[in-house]
Amino acid sequence: MAHDVEVLSRGARVARALLNGYALAIYLFLFAPIVLLVLFSFNANRYGTFPITGWTLEWYRAAVSDYQVHGAVTTTLKVAAQVTLISAIVGTAAAFPLVRSRLPFREGIRIVLILPIMIPGLLIGVSLLVLFVSTFHWQLSEETAVIGQSVYTTPFVILLVAARLQGFDNALERAAADLGANTFQRLRRVVLPLIFPAILAGALFAFTLSLDEFIITYFLIGANNTLPIYIYTQIKFGITPEVNAVASLLLAGSLTLLAVAFALPQLVRRARRAVMRVTTA
Amino acid sequence: MTTVPPLADADSRPDTAGIDLRGVVKQYGTQAALRGLDLQIRDGEFFCLLGPSGCGKTTTLNLIGGFVAPTEGEIWIQGKRVDQLPPHKRPVNTVFQSYALFPHMSVLENVRFGLKMDRVPRDVSSERAAQALGLVGLEEFGSRMPAQLSGGQQQRVAVARALVKRPAVLLLDEPLGALDLKLRQRLQIELAQIHRDVGTTFVYVTHDQEEAMSMADRIAVMNGGRIEQLGTPEEIYRGPVSRFVADFIGDSNFFEATVEGAVAQLPDGSRVACAGGRSGAATLMVRPEAIVLHGGDGSIAGHVVQTSFLGSYIRIAVETPAAGAPVIVALRDGAAVPALGEGVMLSWTAADGVVLEPGPAA
Repeated sequence: MAHDVEVLSRGARVARALLNGYALAIYLFLFAPIVLLVLFSFNANRYGTFPITGWTLEWYRAAVSDYQVHGAVTTTLKVAAQVTLISAIVGTAAAFPLVRSRLPFREGIRIVLILPIMIPGLLIGVSLLVLFVSTFHWQLSEETAVIGQSVYTTPFVILLVAARLQGFDNALERAAADLGANTFQRLRRVVLPLIFPAILAGALFAFTLSLDEFIITYFLIGANNTLPIYIYTQIKFGITPEVNAVASLLLAGSLTLLAVAFALPQLVRRARRAVMRVTTA
Repeated sequence: MTTVPPLADADSRPDTAGIDLRGVVKQYGTQAALRGLDLQIRDGEFFCLLGPSGCGKTTTLNLIGGFVAPTEGEIWIQGKRVDQLPPHKRPVNTVFQSYALFPHMSVLENVRFGLKMDRVPRDVSSERAAQALGLVGLEEFGSRMPAQLSGGQQQRVAVARALVKRPAVLLLDEPLGALDLKLRQRLQIELAQIHRDVGTTFVYVTHDQEEAMSMADRIAVMNGGRIEQLGTPEEIYRGPVSRFVADFIGDSNFFEATVEGAVAQLPDGSRVACAGGRSGAATLMVRPEAIVLHGGDGSIAGHVVQTSFLGSYIRIAVETPAAGAPVIVALRDGAAVPALGEGVMLSWTAADGVVLEPGPAA
């Protein structure tokens, strides 16, 4: 690593070493529980804690064959799929006026649209609960949870797509208009293909957030269980190794999706180039 | 350039005049970008809009292209009024300054885009796109992506993409601005050749007078939202109507003078030849290459303060009481070059002493 000053006094070297050690300790404190959770999920010890008495996949087997887990996973995926779709469409549509229109108070509108990220989930959950149940007299269901989660996830899509639109070269749209493309054709042939990576990344983000969203879902889902809520209810009866396994799977799934989301722009570009080579060769 | 049949066959175009701008005004808020422009561009002509930034040349181009709506006035293209039509309904295509190639499409798809929008059948559009790429010498590059091309190649693709629809008018917005000098000169020749091949009206915007002079049939020199002078490159160079035009096109020497007939009196009292045309206080303009060093009647005296060898010619600067700034003289290579500090006599023929309205010394 390049430092601004390479020749250091002994005191400075000691101080630097202490700072590095301190940073390491903080990271350990933050991530050790997650590492332990994964570790325990493979532990043969049936109390799901130390000591480690041997290695087993038994808890994963139990988790995968548990019908309650099945139900929770199905609900989670169904909710996440709907949340993803709503966030992607609404978020993309909202990003356009935010970047391109000359609305008065555009900065204010931007802040209002982004606000749900900063509002405590508790507040979103409770206020929607009051609205749905007391005002609309709706039955709580998967759908009410979908609406609640979308309030929270859509701003992420807005942010990502707006950033991409901000960097969009307007000359491209003018060129398309010049070559005879009407508004719809410009959107479909030029603008959407170019901002697609951002929409996809936003959608994946929304999906990941939805997977382990707890607070809003807890207030709005009624009798159903998503995976986080299932894990919570299980933990009330004591931490079982099976819960560790389920949580580890959730972790693996979330991390994979996030990795894909970050690698996506690159992948899309490469895939598009490959397709192009095949079709125009 | 390869021999490709012209994209636009001459007999399919109507005979009505090319482009007609009538009293066009463009206001941005209280700022006037164009102040009443009347301009006729002939069918098939290579026309240059030349001027410094902010002179209204790009606004004029955008008005013809349909990206900007006029505040007042009418725009006609080939006998059809177009000022209320959106860009995609005008018989006009544009080569943008940044090329604006679609980065997610191959070169061939870029070129074919305009035909696709017109629902031209795929086999026909492929053939015409290939033909257009041939016109710019890029027939082998159809499957490349724009990012894989050099600046000059991207520029050619932009030209092919704009020409493939056989527009009545091709607008070019400083298309060579981003390229280095050598490439720019080569592409100037190519663009002029393409223009001859296709016979489309070219309207070319630039701030580079050399670029305008090397390609254009006619040039409109613009300044402050108005056309200052319109004519062939030679007309404008030899007979600038204002100090601005003389200064903008080519190098010039300016003298404060009092003119009477074909004689101009300079501040130091010397009397020199001029073309006349105005009497009283005036500015006398003489091109560097019009000045000869041999004294005689009607010459001014000075001494050499700088000589520079510039390859094709030798430039000397002469300080003289007759002018505020040193007078620049361009000597053809091979001429006798005076030494630094040497006294010289400068003279020119009456026709080379252009009389302009009086103005502050530069």
